[in-house]
Amino acid sequence: MRRPLARYGRLLLVQLRASVLLGMQYRADFLLDGVVEVFWVATAIVPLLVVFAARPSVAGWRFGEALMVMGWFTFLEGVLEGTISPSLISVVEHIRKGTLDFVLLKPADAQFLVSTARIQPWRALNVLTALVLFAWGFRALGRGPSAGAVALAAVTMLSAVVVLYSLWLLAVSAAFYVVRIDNLSHLFNAVFDAARWPIDVFHGAVRFTFTFVLPLALMTTVPSRALLGVLPLRSLVGSLAGAALTFALSRVVWKASIGRYTSAGG
Amino acid sequence: MTSILRVRALRKEFAVHERPPGVAAALRSMLHREYKKIVAVDGIALDIQPGERVGFLGPNGAGKTTALKIFSGLLHPTSGEVLVDGHEPRRREDAFLKKIMLVLGQKQQLLWDLPPSETFELNRAVYDVPRAQYEATMRELTALLGLEDLVKRPSRTLSLGERMKCELAAALVHRPRVLFLDEPTIGLDVSMQATVRDFVKRYNEQHGATLLLTSHYMEDVAQLCPRVIVIDRGAILYDGALGDLVTRIRPDRRIVLRFSRPVAESDLAALATVVRHSAGESVLQVPKEAVNAVVGRALANLPVSDLTVQSPPLEEVMSELFARNRPRAATGEAPP
Amino acid sequence: MSLRNTARALPTLLRVGLAEAVAYRAEMFVWVLATTMPLVMLALWTAVAREGGGGALGRYGQSGFTAYFLSAFIVRQLTGCWAFYEMNVDVRQGTLGMRLLRPVHPLAAYTVENIAAVPMRALVSLPAALVALAVLQPRGLTRDPALWALWTASLLGAWSITLFVNLAVGCSAFFIEQSLKLMDLWLVLYFVLSGYTIPIDLFSPRVQSLVDWLPFRYQLGFPVAIMTGALGRQEAAALLVRQWAWVAATAGVTAVLWRRGIARFGAHGG
Repeated sequence: MRRPLARYGRLLLVQLRASVLLGMQYRADFLLDGVVEVFWVATAIVPLLVVFAARPSVAGWRFGEALMVMGWFTFLEGVLEGTISPSLISVVEHIRKGTLDFVLLKPADAQFLVSTARIQPWRALNVLTALVLFAWGFRALGRGPSAGAVALAAVTMLSAVVVLYSLWLLAVSAAFYVVRIDNLSHLFNAVFDAARWPIDVFHGAVRFTFTFVLPLALMTTVPSRALLGVLPLRSLVGSLAGAALTFALSRVVWKASIGRYTSAGG
Repeated sequence: MTSILRVRALRKEFAVHERPPGVAAALRSMLHREYKKIVAVDGIALDIQPGERVGFLGPNGAGKTTALKIFSGLLHPTSGEVLVDGHEPRRREDAFLKKIMLVLGQKQQLLWDLPPSETFELNRAVYDVPRAQYEATMRELTALLGLEDLVKRPSRTLSLGERMKCELAAALVHRPRVLFLDEPTIGLDVSMQATVRDFVKRYNEQHGATLLLTSHYMEDVAQLCPRVIVIDRGAILYDGALGDLVTRIRPDRRIVLRFSRPVAESDLAALATVVRHSAGESVLQVPKEAVNAVVGRALANLPVSDLTVQSPPLEEVMSELFARNRPRAATGEAPP
Repeated sequence: MSLRNTARALPTLLRVGLAEAVAYRAEMFVWVLATTMPLVMLALWTAVAREGGGGALGRYGQSGFTAYFLSAFIVRQLTGCWAFYEMNVDVRQGTLGMRLLRPVHPLAAYTVENIAAVPMRALVSLPAALVALAVLQPRGLTRDPALWALWTASLLGAWSITLFVNLAVGCSAFFIEQSLKLMDLWLVLYFVLSGYTIPIDLFSPRVQSLVDWLPFRYQLGFPVAIMTGALGRQEAAALLVRQWAWVAATAGVTAVLWRRGIARFGAHGG
């Protein structure tokens, strides 16, 4: 008996290698993806520049502070597009083509296998872009982050990634019930786009939704506050609790969906 | 009589991108790609008369599907001449498209989330079929294929066999005069295969349509096609009657014997080559000329309870034909 | 692929297309939700307008932004197109072959499928937008019938450009492996330069005059500007000419790409 952790580590490496090979098959992709990514960030910056040219602050956020939100958004988008969504979209394909059976036949946790199935390596560009945005933001603010703030930001970002992954897994679980959901990623991206802006911009029902139902606030506003060193304790607690809760929920729903799939005989 | 399908010196090459496995090779291939030329169809010539049923036989990758796609205008030949009822397929004129249909067993044209009746209606409009003719065709197809209960259910809820029936019906809405069928029975169970075969044969007989069919199931070809064209590695190995092919490749016959009591294998070996010998039945292989003599000796000397004379199975004939072709073809191919 | 044949088949093509759209109503709903970006931008821009005592930004106050982005939402719903995606799948999986076997031009078929989906999409999205317009009663929607006539022409132009760009990108699937990325690139520019996320007149005059020459604003910002009364009759008519020049240009590019692409498709495989 080998140790399971080591086995999953090796599995992860094998899947990573396959992803890189797959990614390199498409050379036009390789270049275009980089270019497109830079442009996408620009689309977000342009409105920001126009807005702050007219106003010194919006909903209590100054230009440099809003850049933090944009930076975390870019970072998170890289995580989403680079690791989470390609893998989970392949689940939807598996279900449609009926090849999920092959995954379920393998002697490893199905959730692990599908979640690590595909990675797009050049999305690491987003991390770089995020760092540039942070630097620009702090320059505009005329100061730097404290070490504690960076640590806190890392923690809150980790829970943001967990939340993002869990929401995706929930959405993908829906694919077991409604087979055609190719537009899912478009929908998610469209809603997720709202996370480019600090939560304070939104009002009423929209704000409630983005805080509690689809917690965009947890994803970008909270880590930004942490990085700026103005995170209230209750936000930190909320972030950690939210991550634990959505992860547990998504795991339960995923298990139930797989159970349903296998009992229905594909 | 002029042929409805006329093919001369038809050749089709593909350029295929190839790369060896591994990360380093993947990186290299981003800068420089190696292309390999593959000859899918290598100078074939054939004539098919109106109303014929012709079977296209060959191993995987022999070029069958490529040829069918060229005949239906989806692929353009590298060189050579193809005429379907006077039309050049690659030009895809309306008049041509209205005369032919290509049915691919592995691809569907039915609208996935709508009932097949919608696809039929769509094809009626697309092929500009007069209403009265359409209704007559649909009545006929519905009766022949037993579609009544199927046409109102969304296609995605149909079984594979039911879907294939509807797929065939959709393909015949405009009563094509030339029907190209690529693996129409793939994945179907035996009785459904028979249904599809009977239907296709009847369509051919009633409407005088020309049929060109590929299939992995020899039974399809044996039942449907008086004439077969065997291709391997893009070249025609045989074109003619199925019976003649069998006689030419394997002139021997098989005698299947059953006995009322056990018989020693050595007794059988004295008569002819033993293919199989078991408690229930024994099979002997005999040259065609010797069949009568061997049968007579067997009946005289052995406790025979049942005796039949058969041709060798079509599958065996084919694999022998392809095996013979290998050494010749291997030298004719570009080095990898 | 005679035009006559396509025209005669048109009613049935439309009807079946509509039936398909109805069958895919769940996807349609998702699509509408996925194009709610103008509403998010509306939240952002009204927050901006509220800031600093609610002073107007350019010609937009809170009410002005509401009218603008609700109009943008409506125009986007009516001119949306996914043909590039379907074409990409068809070319890649070889199902284009099935379309080529039919005596109807595949590009015409994609177009008809897109038109057939409009009523369903309008049904899902427009009531909400119209109710919002009625309830909020933003000042600024034009009441000039001549402008509304121009608006209709501009909407048709916007739809045509979007369609042709879609088909051209779809055709690029014949030549490059991941044509979807090209659409991404186009969308990026569209988001910034069409007025989808920022009303164009908030840009500096230099940027604005550049945008006048690019196709993007004619896909969205131009009809929205007519709707919200930002343009006079003459101005609108002049821009309409430029818009239709872009329609002709994109149509030309599509025709060339299709012809060359289909030759390639025939050489390589279906």
